[in-house]
Amino acid sequence: MSEYSGIRERRPFSYHDLGGQSQGLAEGFRKRCLKASDRSFSQGLQCQEINSMSALMSMEDSVFVVHAPQGCVGCASFANDLYRVGQAHRGLPIIRNARIIVTNLDEKDIIHGGEGKLREAILIANERYAPKLIFVFASCASGIIGDDIDGVAHSLAGEVGAIVVPIHCEGFKSKVCASGFDTAFISISKHVLKGERLPKQKNLVNLFAPTSVSRKDQVEIERMLAVLGLEANYLPFYSSLEKLKRIPSAEGSTAICKVFADEFMKELERDYGIPFAHTVMPIGVRNTDKWYRGVAALFGKEAEVEEVIAAEHERVLPQIEGIRKRLEGKRVFICGGTGRSFAAAALVDDFGMRLVGLETPTYDEDAQLDIEYLNGIHGDFVVDVANMQPFEQVNLVKKLKPDVFIGVPTWTARLGIPTTHVLDMKRPTMGYDGILYLGNKIADQIENPGFNEKLAAHARLPYKASWYEDDAFKFIKTFAGPAPGAVSRAAPAGGEPVIREVR
Amino acid sequence: MSAITEAPRGNCALGGANAVFSAIDRVVPIYHAGPGCCMQTTAGEAGQAGGRSPFYVSGVSTPCTNMLEHDVVFGGVDRLRETISGALEIFEADAFFVLEGCTSGIIADDVKSVTDEFSAKGLPVYPVDCPGFLGESYRGYEIAFASLLDHVVQSAPREGDLVNLFGIMPYHDPFWEGNFEELIRILEKLGLRVNSFFTRRQGIAAIRDSSAAALNIVVSPWLLKDAAAKYEERFGVPSLRWSGLPIGATDTSAFVRAVADRLGLKDRAERVIAEEEAYVYGYLETAIGALSWKRFAVVADSNTAIGVTRFLANDYSFTPIVTIVTDPIFRPEDKERITRQLTELEHAKPPAVVFETDGWKIARELDSHSEITLLVGSTNDREYAMEKGIQCSVVAYPITDRLVFNRTYAGYRGSLTLVEDLYDNL
Repeated sequence: MSEYSGIRERRPFSYHDLGGQSQGLAEGFRKRCLKASDRSFSQGLQCQEINSMSALMSMEDSVFVVHAPQGCVGCASFANDLYRVGQAHRGLPIIRNARIIVTNLDEKDIIHGGEGKLREAILIANERYAPKLIFVFASCASGIIGDDIDGVAHSLAGEVGAIVVPIHCEGFKSKVCASGFDTAFISISKHVLKGERLPKQKNLVNLFAPTSVSRKDQVEIERMLAVLGLEANYLPFYSSLEKLKRIPSAEGSTAICKVFADEFMKELERDYGIPFAHTVMPIGVRNTDKWYRGVAALFGKEAEVEEVIAAEHERVLPQIEGIRKRLEGKRVFICGGTGRSFAAAALVDDFGMRLVGLETPTYDEDAQLDIEYLNGIHGDFVVDVANMQPFEQVNLVKKLKPDVFIGVPTWTARLGIPTTHVLDMKRPTMGYDGILYLGNKIADQIENPGFNEKLAAHARLPYKASWYEDDAFKFIKTFAGPAPGAVSRAAPAGGEPVIREVR
Repeated sequence: MSAITEAPRGNCALGGANAVFSAIDRVVPIYHAGPGCCMQTTAGEAGQAGGRSPFYVSGVSTPCTNMLEHDVVFGGVDRLRETISGALEIFEADAFFVLEGCTSGIIADDVKSVTDEFSAKGLPVYPVDCPGFLGESYRGYEIAFASLLDHVVQSAPREGDLVNLFGIMPYHDPFWEGNFEELIRILEKLGLRVNSFFTRRQGIAAIRDSSAAALNIVVSPWLLKDAAAKYEERFGVPSLRWSGLPIGATDTSAFVRAVADRLGLKDRAERVIAEEEAYVYGYLETAIGALSWKRFAVVADSNTAIGVTRFLANDYSFTPIVTIVTDPIFRPEDKERITRQLTELEHAKPPAVVFETDGWKIARELDSHSEITLLVGSTNDREYAMEKGIQCSVVAYPITDRLVFNRTYAGYRGSLTLVEDLYDNL
């Protein structure tokens, strides 16, 4: 069973509010002299409940009971939309909705407790759909009032046919949304796998993939594995109880996203003897090679994978050369989730682009490896350790004036800068085929920036002109609180901004 | 009491309130809430309203205290104070509304005393008590209007040609902008000036002076009763409630006559009606028989359900079978008013009228009616239509598979668009 709490902030040397130049940060991190810090002003985050739900919402034989007021299923609409589109891309004749039941906690429940309603919701889920799994998601409200979701789930074990899996994803427990993935896997381990070992199935690999992976990407990754004679157990997107139960019979595990199932794979190694490859996201040539070699090594297929990589290079490198001619020397600012931001940074290297700014949600040991690698290529660039924080983003992008912004385009497009992104959940981005798609996408956007240019003449951003002149990191305050790794937040005592200079 | 609901067609009180504030030009909502409420509410309202994001501040650009465990235990007012100060420093805005989420609501942080510190300095920072658990989106809509009345609306001299148009909820009605625009177009033809608060970049100034209006027109069978009463009591602005979105010549002309009647514009109204009806029928007569006869079911919010059912039955001679109203209507008199609107039809036999919000129960209700050949509903309802092999048209919240800018089904012109869209779906 897991010893990991599921709270990403509790992992050692992990920072979420930081800003400065990449060389300085890397040095500070290396010497262990980066202080804990926090933003005294912040824009909204993504809570872990959103991630817990989105990770599981395409499980076909499941019902999702959300123990919360009705607002806490807002983002389930995104997950459901992805699920619906995913079914269409898989050619299914009838496109279903994810089965989401919300207990709709109200004022009365807040005072008297909502366990009765939760019990009723689970019974309703069972009666309506006779599912194999019922996932129960906690919320801030249910957590604060102290509803015992484990107790309710346990008490219904004999009454319902489904396995009831309570997930402790209360939003207030973590400011790092990826914690929600961990929390979901901890519960799957505890309630579905339960430590039972199974006979190994030769060449079976657990392939953990978050919702943000398109059908085309799944096909490409599975193709790459099949070439090596490997069978992928694709999880948990579009999977089922049966597929979850096969997890212990795999000979190896890997993940498509860097912050997805990484802690779970450690647990699978410890408890079930399943080795894993946790390298990078397979985006861009270097990263795809690295990811591919990592998986191959698990199965002793080092020689085979080199042959395949050589053949793939022969196929795609000449085409990449063509894209490189269009992109060489272009200055780029990247914003993305932990896996994608660094993957995109490696990708732009394939095209000879120059990194001038990087926004990523977490700085930790893994990030340090990537930053040091990127420092070697790009010299010095701005790093904003933030989960979005558009106010900092537009401030930095306006000052740095990159040739292209890679990330969610909502705000920087209004500055008139060409934008594109590597998180296209319905289209390809990964593997060798994905590189060409992304490269052409970036080049096309840079060469034809008319929409954003014209938009900038009319669109509005809500910030004062003075904000763009200000230090983008002025609200990041260090404080003499607990060392990074502690979850509680001491009040920032008006301390020094971390690193002020932005070129 | 809020019921357990499958596939809910709404967000929470916080989401509803935010839908309102995020639709007002140069207004910034500030959340005193958990980390995630900004995204959940924006995705729940605007995200399901034809896939857009409010232009000024929304989702992860909304200032937020992102309350964590520490704040739950020790309270979050210091954090809130810093967040408001930061927002005032960087945002260009005419007003800031501090919206409470479940976390601050449950631990009972004193938000008002913090906003008072700012308003004492003359800064436009206002508290809104709207924790999610207070109810669904519409509750938030009502709370937001109450808050605007408390903090923004001031008395102004009466202007006889000015009306306020209320009842169409931003984002929760995915076609709100188009619907406002069409109804405003028609009212302007009567010689009126119209406040909607939300369209044409109206903002705090229009809201502040809305007490000058000669009439509040509330297009909804049940919303904004309290707000309408307050306008009347405090500023002497009377209201006209119009129960259901007017769609097509019959209902829209009746709507025009009702407004004109209240404001003494009868002659002008008849001229407008003649002109608009000629416009509509000029098109309808070019596609006679283009759509085959249908026995239809409607699953939608009350405004859309009434508008679509009445138009298709009265003006288009389709056969209504069942209309399911998905709003959480709790007052019996409101249910009666809605039922009357849906059953008092011209020639058609009235449909069965059902009030239901739960997705599974809606499907079972549809099962109990035979020979439905057209289902007019939301993206949620496509699955049912696919399973049964019947035509489906998505015209009501939640909509995640269409992009909606200024499309409208309201009024004269909107009825033509509705017919076009029904044809596209064959």
